[in-house]
Amino acid sequence: MAEETEAPEQPAGSGDATRRARSRPLGFAITLVIALIVFAGVGLLFHAQAYSSPAGTLVATDVGTSTVKGVALKHVTLHFNTYPDASGSVNGVPIHPGGNPAWPSYGPTNQYQVPAHALVTVTIRQYDSGGALNNAWFDKVRGTVGGTAIINGKVVTSINPNNVGHTFTVRGTPGTDPGFFVSVPLPLVPGDSQTDNGKYETIVFSFISGDKGLYAWNCEFPCGTSIASFGGPMNAYGYMSGFVHVV
Amino acid sequence: MSSDHPVVDEPPVLPQGDSIVAGRPFFSRPVGKIFIIWFLMTAVGVLIGIFAPHHLMPTFLSHEGTDVWRTMVLFTILAAPVAAVVYAVAAYSLIGWRHRGNQDDPPEDGPPLRGNSTVTAVWLATSSVLVLVLLAWGLTVYSAEEVSHPGTLQVDVTGQQWLWTFTYPGTGVETRSLVLPINRPVQFNVTSVDVTHGFWPAALGVQVDANPGVTTVIRATPDKLGNFTVRCSQLCGLYHSFMYAPGSVVTSAGFSRWLRSEGASTTTGQATALVKKQ
Repeated sequence: MAEETEAPEQPAGSGDATRRARSRPLGFAITLVIALIVFAGVGLLFHAQAYSSPAGTLVATDVGTSTVKGVALKHVTLHFNTYPDASGSVNGVPIHPGGNPAWPSYGPTNQYQVPAHALVTVTIRQYDSGGALNNAWFDKVRGTVGGTAIINGKVVTSINPNNVGHTFTVRGTPGTDPGFFVSVPLPLVPGDSQTDNGKYETIVFSFISGDKGLYAWNCEFPCGTSIASFGGPMNAYGYMSGFVHVV
Repeated sequence: MSSDHPVVDEPPVLPQGDSIVAGRPFFSRPVGKIFIIWFLMTAVGVLIGIFAPHHLMPTFLSHEGTDVWRTMVLFTILAAPVAAVVYAVAAYSLIGWRHRGNQDDPPEDGPPLRGNSTVTAVWLATSSVLVLVLLAWGLTVYSAEEVSHPGTLQVDVTGQQWLWTFTYPGTGVETRSLVLPINRPVQFNVTSVDVTHGFWPAALGVQVDANPGVTTVIRATPDKLGNFTVRCSQLCGLYHSFMYAPGSVVTSAGFSRWLRSEGASTTTGQATALVKKQ
């Protein structure tokens, strides 16, 4: 009968230490992958919130060609509104799907698409009340064709800074023309009015779109909550801010 | 019961560091290896201090920006050997004295080093000199920027979520772009109408917070023509990343033309003075 040879006894704990050492790179790799997935997920979430809307993107309507200062430009139009709250719907289209019903909002969406280097004519129906601007600089019409807007059929270059409902202010973002800037003050409606009582201000203005890219717009009237009334809808995606996609 | 090994009551006394390395060449001893690492890291740090600012910092368009650039270069070069000491000791300790997988319990710490007055004195003196040099340099640069010069151009800067606006007092000019004449001292009177922002025309080498209800003053003298961007350096809300404004340094004549194109009143206040000085 052959004698069995016993394996030499290993010091207690040395095997565990070896296994731990070997498993470190794997653990590091798994941690790194999880971190990347979480990071990418958060990034995609923010991207989806910022650059898209549950209501979709409003694509400008092509209405032909117009001439501005002797230059023929493609002419498109956009129609959207501002509401005192995000509840309800207009012609069956929710103002702000899934939004906070107590917050003022642009509607039916906050994402607009226009062609590059085109004449864009915007018509806004403003249904909200308002008050005084933090900075009277925004009481003037800036960056539009002729530096004017038409409010209820009257051509204006500015409005009373104490009677502002909202502003529609567009600027370039990194990667686009930093000098691009359009800002139009929207006069208030005395007392909040919703879509069913028929009170609104009609503001029409035109601007020439810039290069292709993403342009940010927001309201510069303090219509939110918290500090300087720039919290709540002013600091959340989809209510008083959005993007103009120039394609 | 018998044993091949004698039973001892006390653990064997291990030889201490000096006796272990005594007689070995300097660069084969731990301190020599740490010295080599320190030397290489210092060289890398100095090279970074000399060359990195060209790539990491904007092209400065003002005296103050040039001062900032010089300060960054000097401070980086002076900090390189100090930082390298820390990194070299840490790197050698982590790699050379790490606990390897085939070892049992980690070795105990060596005896503490105390009472080396020479090392202490050299370290304190070196640190003091370095800190005093940095302090003197910083105060000199800062005090130069604090001096108000005659004929200074006043620009009121207003920050708000999420735009900058610039007013040229006495001219009636309010703009969203910051246009400055070359070789003319400028005083920025900075405030905010809502939350705290950071007025940061990086190419001018100055930065100051814009606080609501408070006007903060900062000065610069553009000395090169060019374009730059005014950014917000304080996280201020949803569109903080889009809170920037275009800026440019133009010739004196160009500045006058720009003021007129913006509808400046050339009959009153600063506008008259501005035009006369061109």
